[in-house]
Amino acid sequence: MPILAVTWVTPLAGAVLGASILAPLLALWFLKLRRRRRVVSSTLLWTRSLADLRANAPFQRIRFNLLLLLQVLAVLAFAIALAQPEAEGLGSAGGRHVIMIDRSASMGAIETTDGSGDALDEPVSRLALAKDAAKARVRELLGGGWFSLNASDVMVVAFGARAEIRAPFTDSIASLESAIDGIAPTDESTRVAEAIELARAFTSNQNRADDRGQQTEVDSSDLPTIELYSDGRIADLGKLSLRPGESVVYHRVGSAADNAAVVAISAERPPDAPDRVQVFASVANPAAAPRRVTLQLAVNGTVRAITPDPIEIPAARAAEPGAQDALADGAGVGFVPGRAQVTFRPIEQPSNASIEVAIVEDDALRADDAAIAVVAPAKLLSVLHVGGDGFVVRTLLEGLPVERFNSMDLAQFDAAVEASTLASFDVVVLDAVQPKRLPAGRYLVFGPPPPVEGITAFGEHKGVYARFVREEHPVFRLASLDELFVSKLTAVQADRSFQVIAEAAEGPLVLAYDRADMHVVYVAFDPLDSNWPFQRSFVNFTASAVEYLGRMGDAIASRGLVPGEAIALRLPAGSRDIEVIAPNGVRGKVTADAEGNISWGPVTVAGLHRIEFLAPGAAERAVRLVAVNIFDAAESRIEPLPELRLGNASVQGISVASSRRGALWPWILALGLLVVVVEWWYYQRQVRV
Amino acid sequence: MSAVKPLRRLDDLLDPHLMSRLDAIDVMSRKIFSGKLQGERRSKRRGQSIEFADFRPYVHGDDLRFVDWNIFGRLDRLFLKMFLEEEDLSLVIAVDTSASMRVGDPDAFDYARKVAMALSYVGLVNQHRVSLVGFSAGRIERASNLRGRRKAAEVASWLLRREPEGGSGFEEAMRLVGTTRAGRGVMLVLSDFLFPEGFEKGLAMVAGRGFDLYALQVLAPQVVDPAREGGVTGDLLLVDSETGAETEVTVTPELLRIYKDRLDRLCGSLRNYCTRRDIVHMVVETSTPVETLMLEYLRRRGLLR
Repeated sequence: MPILAVTWVTPLAGAVLGASILAPLLALWFLKLRRRRRVVSSTLLWTRSLADLRANAPFQRIRFNLLLLLQVLAVLAFAIALAQPEAEGLGSAGGRHVIMIDRSASMGAIETTDGSGDALDEPVSRLALAKDAAKARVRELLGGGWFSLNASDVMVVAFGARAEIRAPFTDSIASLESAIDGIAPTDESTRVAEAIELARAFTSNQNRADDRGQQTEVDSSDLPTIELYSDGRIADLGKLSLRPGESVVYHRVGSAADNAAVVAISAERPPDAPDRVQVFASVANPAAAPRRVTLQLAVNGTVRAITPDPIEIPAARAAEPGAQDALADGAGVGFVPGRAQVTFRPIEQPSNASIEVAIVEDDALRADDAAIAVVAPAKLLSVLHVGGDGFVVRTLLEGLPVERFNSMDLAQFDAAVEASTLASFDVVVLDAVQPKRLPAGRYLVFGPPPPVEGITAFGEHKGVYARFVREEHPVFRLASLDELFVSKLTAVQADRSFQVIAEAAEGPLVLAYDRADMHVVYVAFDPLDSNWPFQRSFVNFTASAVEYLGRMGDAIASRGLVPGEAIALRLPAGSRDIEVIAPNGVRGKVTADAEGNISWGPVTVAGLHRIEFLAPGAAERAVRLVAVNIFDAAESRIEPLPELRLGNASVQGISVASSRRGALWPWILALGLLVVVVEWWYYQRQVRV
Repeated sequence: MSAVKPLRRLDDLLDPHLMSRLDAIDVMSRKIFSGKLQGERRSKRRGQSIEFADFRPYVHGDDLRFVDWNIFGRLDRLFLKMFLEEEDLSLVIAVDTSASMRVGDPDAFDYARKVAMALSYVGLVNQHRVSLVGFSAGRIERASNLRGRRKAAEVASWLLRREPEGGSGFEEAMRLVGTTRAGRGVMLVLSDFLFPEGFEKGLAMVAGRGFDLYALQVLAPQVVDPAREGGVTGDLLLVDSETGAETEVTVTPELLRIYKDRLDRLCGSLRNYCTRRDIVHMVVETSTPVETLMLEYLRRRGLLR
């Protein structure tokens, strides 16, 4: 149920007026009314008449009070009008305000109504609505209005996966509006913690530096009011809590809820048919009702396949406590989106290509309706096996359709590392060995953790089962861990540079590490310490992991990037005139290091990014393609949250549409005048003779 | 408040035209009293008037002039003819000179003085003994035993010298009038009868003492109907003209209705009281012309003929 909240532009003036008039008014009523003196022959009859009137009229007191009530009402109306209420419920004016504008992917949803049910003149994005509302709010805070006694300082922060201060605290309307106008849409996920930390840091910095440089306590009254313009779908909201004195006003933007998304795509060349590409996709339905979608497959922009029948995607459901596949929905309750997997028939595509899977039907958020994968040209890999007695892995690798397979022990590997002779191998498989160091490259590691910064072993676990597997990851295609039993698992602690893609109750089972020049898939146990070698999933996993790692050097094939990450590639050493072209036309010049490594980003929009460069000795510019996909079912859940839960606090959302109602105080002033007229009429009616 | 010019002369009190019309009327009493002087009025005593009353046997010492010789001729017995003696009438006019009479337009005090002048004139012309009493604050001032047309100027002068002030002290004033009366007769009390202490005790002082009593309640139009033009409306602080007591009122139609009801009840109780004690009660608004009052109302009530 929407709540009409009110902003008081000049609350002090209204309070002063109310206090200064109400008290005397009541005093006049209860003390003495100024009356005209009139000499009469005798007051005898009058006093007796008054006594009769009071004795015989039980409602006399009520009539008296009615007049007083009208007068009090009129004064209150004037006092309220003087406080200039406006129908927005934005908290008080004055003081400091941090306007935080969500520019994540979900804010790109197209709205046809303003949130209160009124149709817009033309469809606009949520971000545009938020920006308009934020600018209006800036004008309210800094425009002053009549009788304004307060000055405000306003800061503008835009946030998606990361936060950015668009304008520091200022009272310049032009600067703030310019900063708000400059906020560009992104396809990033939504994380507000960084933005709030920025605001807090900015506040504490301002408060702690007094004239003598001494530290002072942060006065809670100086804490800014955070004015959050968002649809409320904020992934990290459940981890936040308000500090004492902090206040948040949640401006709820948008109303659309209709959306489906492609949340995963991968393409691979079947080992037995390297000229073909098989595409897998996963679609998600974050809504509470099931829906049907039609998917199309396009290769290099040309539609090559379309699902013959609509794909039925089940409805999302609330997550059960402790569910691993639950996604945060910003309301403190996890949810599990409905998912459907789609496998397209293999298509002939011997050369490299960008493959796009898209939902045909329109919905509110188009950015997540397509996912792109880039596949490299058909090519066989060179694989190096490093291990001792581990015949299982070696035997398996020998059976793979690779161009070249070598095997060496740990000492030879360390020597080769020192000699820098490993560059010719696409993938190195470390089979239960722990080398001294790892040069840049792509590694599939079994057993001891790789010597990479960010991961440490601290013991082992006995007898564990896989509890959660990120099945959408390419390495787990056709590789179920349901029947996996590990008798001895290396207990590792990994930082955020590692992504856990399979884990047991005791700790991570499989982790992925992706950096600019280093890609690792780490299995935290020796296959010989498990029953895995006896399962088909072990073969599929190892093959997929080698394929996944091996193709990375040529293209980010199946995984791609998500908005907010940086593009990191290794180009031929000596490449120059490198330019990154984003799907929205933004271009960026990049310089490669001596080994040809480049990084650019973070990328903000989903789509196919082109990296054009001039390779040494080449006459024409070469192109690498990088796919960036949203792949965030939580972000695809676009239905705005009616209220936010911040720790124990609940913040009711205020539709930005309500700000269009404008100021309330003229109406209240008119009401006050009307009450005065009624009061005068009533008074005259009473005394008319 | 009154905006009319103050009364300064006899003509202001009594219009010459009215004066000439008053020459033809006399004061009547519903009772027959014994007078002090021979006058133009029937007395209970048999005397020397021309109006026959009765016969009685002659006794020694009777004035032989009143023997009916015709009867003596027929019956050979001496009978004495008895005539009703015509005596003078005592007319007492008590005028309330309290401050409350000064309120209204026309104010009650001037009106009462005009009525008192007119009645006095009637009494003087008809050779009655006219006494004027002014009472306020429990004191009385009097002009007693005036007789004959020539005293009209003196009556007027006395009336013109009176100024209303203070309360009425009605009971005390009537007690003084009742105990110092000079002969029986007709008494008129001209007052608004708006006495905080009530009128009953005051009237009782004079009602049982042989007076043919008339209570003439003189009320200004603004007292009868406070909302009349120039009257009280709105939020007022009413000041009692006699006591200075202040009363805050917000005049509403309901209050006015109650006020009028109160006034009616006051007048009604006065009328009932008077009826029970054989007192003639009349209410007259000061807007009523004195001529109308004298020649119509008072004649109709039997005071004048």
